[in-house]
Amino acid sequence: MSDAPDFWRKRLAIDARAALAVIAVLALVPLGVSSPYWLGVLIVSMYFALAALGWNLLAGFTGQFSLAPAAFAMLGAYTTGLLDYHLHAPLAIGIPAAIAATAALGGLLGWIVLRLQGPYLALTTLSFAEIARVVIGNSYVFTRGDQGLNVPALMESRVGYYYLFVGVLVATLLVLYALMRGRAGRFWLAIRDDATGAESRGIDVVRYKTLAFALSCAICGLAGSLYGTFSQLVSPELGLLLQTGLVIAMVVIGGMGTLTGPIVGALVVYLASEWLREAGNVQMIVFAAAVILVARFFREGLWGIVTRLRSRPSAARGAA
Amino acid sequence: MLALDLFVNGLIFGLFYALMAVGLAMIFGVLKIVNFAHGEFYMVGAYAYVLCALKLGIPAWVALPLAAVAGAALGWLVERTLMRPLYTGYASWGLLKDEYAVVVTFGLSLLLINLVDKVVGPYPYRGPVLIETSRIALGPILLNGQKLIAAVVSAALLVGLALFLKRSLRGRQIQAVAQNRLGASLAGIDATRTTSLVFAISGMLAALSGALLAPLINPSPDVGAFPAIKSYVIVVLGGMGSVWGAMIASLLLGVAESFFAVYVSYDYRDAFGLLILMLVLLFRPQGLMGEKVREL
Repeated sequence: MSDAPDFWRKRLAIDARAALAVIAVLALVPLGVSSPYWLGVLIVSMYFALAALGWNLLAGFTGQFSLAPAAFAMLGAYTTGLLDYHLHAPLAIGIPAAIAATAALGGLLGWIVLRLQGPYLALTTLSFAEIARVVIGNSYVFTRGDQGLNVPALMESRVGYYYLFVGVLVATLLVLYALMRGRAGRFWLAIRDDATGAESRGIDVVRYKTLAFALSCAICGLAGSLYGTFSQLVSPELGLLLQTGLVIAMVVIGGMGTLTGPIVGALVVYLASEWLREAGNVQMIVFAAAVILVARFFREGLWGIVTRLRSRPSAARGAA
Repeated sequence: MLALDLFVNGLIFGLFYALMAVGLAMIFGVLKIVNFAHGEFYMVGAYAYVLCALKLGIPAWVALPLAAVAGAALGWLVERTLMRPLYTGYASWGLLKDEYAVVVTFGLSLLLINLVDKVVGPYPYRGPVLIETSRIALGPILLNGQKLIAAVVSAALLVGLALFLKRSLRGRQIQAVAQNRLGASLAGIDATRTTSLVFAISGMLAALSGALLAPLINPSPDVGAFPAIKSYVIVVLGGMGSVWGAMIASLLLGVAESFFAVYVSYDYRDAFGLLILMLVLLFRPQGLMGEKVREL
């Protein structure tokens, strides 16, 4: 009893430290790179890293394979956009409102799909995502439909935005680390590994599943809201299934059920996609193939490969 | 006369939906997974037909079976390379079975769309028609000739599938594996081979659906998304895994949508189907027809 949590905590601590190291490297980038284009690329990859962390909480840690992360990013972005468009609410209200709205909607969705698992859960969340997108895209009067909404910028400076995203990424990571280290995290893992077993041991499955949904969707919503103010435009395209596919690709390639995996996956996939775009627009072919290969042959993703490489030399040393 | 017209058109669309949905239902039946790349089987069929006919100059009636072969080959290949881990004892996977299925089929869908986009190009193609007559009068209803031919071929294929599943040895083996994989293999049925067969048949039917509709829809690489979403609604409505349920639900959805689009709202037509899907999964997860029709 006493060993298992310690082992988990040790692994989680290494994981969190590695994630912080990656973000620390990211934080140093503007000192050397001043090209607004590349800073913009990195900002967008940090948006994806946030969404990937949010989705990973639900799919990787709690075992609830939702297909709606991009839809929640879109809903978060639209909450901020609509508050500004209709009520001229300042962003200081608009961004927290996006978090609150997506948390509430996510909790509600989680409560609705409580009894569903596997393919049923995937289909229901996919339907929710598509309905949300179709409704927003068709409500011309309220949301301006496919034309999208203009959102005011939070600040002028691109470097400022860059550090805002770095800060939010660190904060999200620390919150997730604290949660995963404590009671909630172990309950989520228990639900993922054996929901019936968890319930029979007295874990309030309803509450913790709903909580995971609310928190995960709120992280995606926050990511979308910040992305909206950065690009100063939100459109239903944010919620396309393709975007969800990208988020899933990032988490699977980086490593599901880890903290470093989603961040590294988002950076690798998005930066590589910029390169591959120049090399003849083959980025989606490469990622789709990579996702299939990783899921088929290296199911722990990049982070899994790294940890295994790290542990192998030491084991060899021990043997010698 | 509008109502009758809508009804007939709805039924015809229901037949097209059914060709896709029965395959999805059969795959769910034997593996208990949703194939998120099913729309891409349809897309590949449409492209195989159009490219054979336009680039190679093959007559349309010969291109149609070629598209079927392409779909069957693709389905078989997908099963051989990607679906085996689902049932050959990878139970201790970190990435669980359902997650693996979603990730792999979703990835496959993205891969096929983007491959076709890159190799063939993003522009829609117009497929050659199977029959030159543009309007055929059926009593009081005027129908597009291609649509009528496609509907007749679809209906024949569905009847053929039903007979195959009910009467033939292989069809009964498929039913047995869907009911109980372990039991079927203990009774001497090669469950692995049967699963490959199911994927080949599903791929073939979806590809034929795409090929038959190619002259009407002008296929582009992302053309599969729309019929795929319809098929999800249908398999849920008919009871996941039930082929007969899927056939009935296809016709129902076709007619319901046809009326909804005219009398309620065209823009929200797709959202309407998805809402039905959510409601059925939440309140009646066994599907409208219930347990009785879940023979497969």
